[in-house]
Amino acid sequence: MSAPHSLIATERLGGHRRPTTEPPWVRRLLIGVALAFLAIFLWVPLAAVFAQAFAKGARAYFDSFNDPVTFAAVKLTLIAAGIAVPLNLVFGVAAAWAISKFNFPGKSLLITLIDLPFSVSPVIAGLIYVLLFGAQGLLGPWLIDHDIRIIFAVPGIVLATTFVTFPFVARELIPLMQAQGRSEEEAALSLGASGWQTFWRVTVPNIKWGLLYGIILCNARAMGEFGAVSVVSGHIRGETNTIPLHIEILYSENVVAAFAVATLLTLLALVTLCLKTWVEWRAAAESQTAEAE
Amino acid sequence: MSVEVRNITKTFGSFTALNNVSLNVESGELIALLGPSGSGKTTLLRIIAGLEFADPGTAQVLFHGEDVTNLPASQRRAGFAFQHYALFRHLTVFENIAFGLRVRPRATRPSEESIRERVTELLKLIQLDPLANRFPSQLSGGQRQRVALARALAVEPKVLLLDEPFGALDAKVRKQLRRWLRKLHDDIHITSIFVTHDQEEALEVADRVVVMNEGGIVQIGPPHEVYDRPANAFVFNFLGNVNLFQGRMDDGLMKIGDTELHVAENLGTSVSDATVYFRPHDVKVSTEPVGQESIAALIRHINLAGPVVRIDLERADTGSRFEVELNREQWQGIDRRVGDRVFVDLQRVRVFPTDHKTPLEDFSI
Repeated sequence: MSAPHSLIATERLGGHRRPTTEPPWVRRLLIGVALAFLAIFLWVPLAAVFAQAFAKGARAYFDSFNDPVTFAAVKLTLIAAGIAVPLNLVFGVAAAWAISKFNFPGKSLLITLIDLPFSVSPVIAGLIYVLLFGAQGLLGPWLIDHDIRIIFAVPGIVLATTFVTFPFVARELIPLMQAQGRSEEEAALSLGASGWQTFWRVTVPNIKWGLLYGIILCNARAMGEFGAVSVVSGHIRGETNTIPLHIEILYSENVVAAFAVATLLTLLALVTLCLKTWVEWRAAAESQTAEAE
Repeated sequence: MSVEVRNITKTFGSFTALNNVSLNVESGELIALLGPSGSGKTTLLRIIAGLEFADPGTAQVLFHGEDVTNLPASQRRAGFAFQHYALFRHLTVFENIAFGLRVRPRATRPSEESIRERVTELLKLIQLDPLANRFPSQLSGGQRQRVALARALAVEPKVLLLDEPFGALDAKVRKQLRRWLRKLHDDIHITSIFVTHDQEEALEVADRVVVMNEGGIVQIGPPHEVYDRPANAFVFNFLGNVNLFQGRMDDGLMKIGDTELHVAENLGTSVSDATVYFRPHDVKVSTEPVGQESIAALIRHINLAGPVVRIDLERADTGSRFEVELNREQWQGIDRRVGDRVFVDLQRVRVFPTDHKTPLEDFSI
């Protein structure tokens, strides 16, 4: 906290030039370029979504939601995220715990595998499940025999969403837990706590902000995922369309409705950003009190 | 409660941290495990705590004769204090100390009232009762380590294990805290083992010092004994400042340069490649030669700051440098300048065969 104050103070006192500073015109140019870039690629599109959505007035906007198919898309998105996020929460914590607290053979392989959903194209991620569970797939005949539908049905969408969003929680927690080390857990064990007590009373409180951050990002991606879900969905209206898929269909039929539904995802993004900033701010505030001597 | 370890070997990959170590700690003793980093002392402590397990084989850890080798840390009732305290950062000082009582199974968990009583009592013991509601981040290093000790003591451990307890503190606090630890131990008499690389700390606080090097125990004994009668060159070197002269030992007669020293305890031994070890303060300096054994030397540097006068000398015959320490009175009787010639008589020396494998390192801090 004291660093910014002292900088301001020295600048005010002597107008002292810092060695890293640039001439004013360079600074203005750099800031201008950054702002222009932001405007063209972020703010204008954001405004355009709302402008298009309200192009025919507020009434048309709200009418767009009065559609059972749209309603079904929202419901499916909530279901997919509602299953994928808790699953990845459990997997992510377990993986991060294993990686940061224990040494075992195959550890670096596990770390690489966690990143796989990030490194592979979402389309491929979807195709994996089609090749595995589709009618012509590896397990297809067995599934058909037992009347289990995965591809072009809700389970496939949940699977694809879970796959794509798998790394968020684990990726967030691994560096955090590695930095915190094992000594607090060891202290808890030496005081007689069981492994379960140690986890709930020591580990979870220490990682809660990182955990929340991971959940927020995981949820945003789960609700917004297009590619992988598109491959496994089959685009059956009112049944296997999530919000992003539904928007794509609407766009060729009713532009206002498409953008109206798109505002939902945009709002989700804005809420996510706000939450993310708040979590970062809280975590920073806590680590600051932790560092203050 | 006594602690005994038998035949402990611990390897990390290809690195052998401990090589067949056995140690017996009597009930109520305060023991220091002393050694340079990498000597295996912390690993041994963690194996006693159950935070690390020895390589399977004949290794055994016994608490009061009872085999706890395969018991997990949570069931050993060994209090452990970590070098960096490992306080629970999200809990207050009070809750940190209460932790071990709160996690007990319902049947043996004390009532809220007796937890409060016990924690208050411990807060008084560590003299931090006004800070009960602070968080660890709001405490100084010395305060944190005291909280860590209180937290370990709250569960009434059978043995207290401390890993470099004062290593992260500045010199002055470290001195205060180690006296406090000694006093605490005299009051509650709990069997305690602490790890340190600071020889001064070990010699001042411990009942017995266990000197370790390269995964093994080199010497065990009371502080004065390991200091005065080091078992080998390593211990002599590690326990304090040291000078050494290389030479030849011939039936108790040590030839170093132009001088011959009679070393009574080495009568009958002859080593062609031997080294004389002596402490900088175990010398007598004069302006004229006292006898046959006086070594002529030139003054190269004089440091008058502090309670003792430190003088860098260069031997007239071989040119090798060494350091002597005199008190101010002795120095006033000499009062020479840089470049002047003086004569040095070694008062107490130890001779060991020259160790070419491990070059002399400066372990002192």
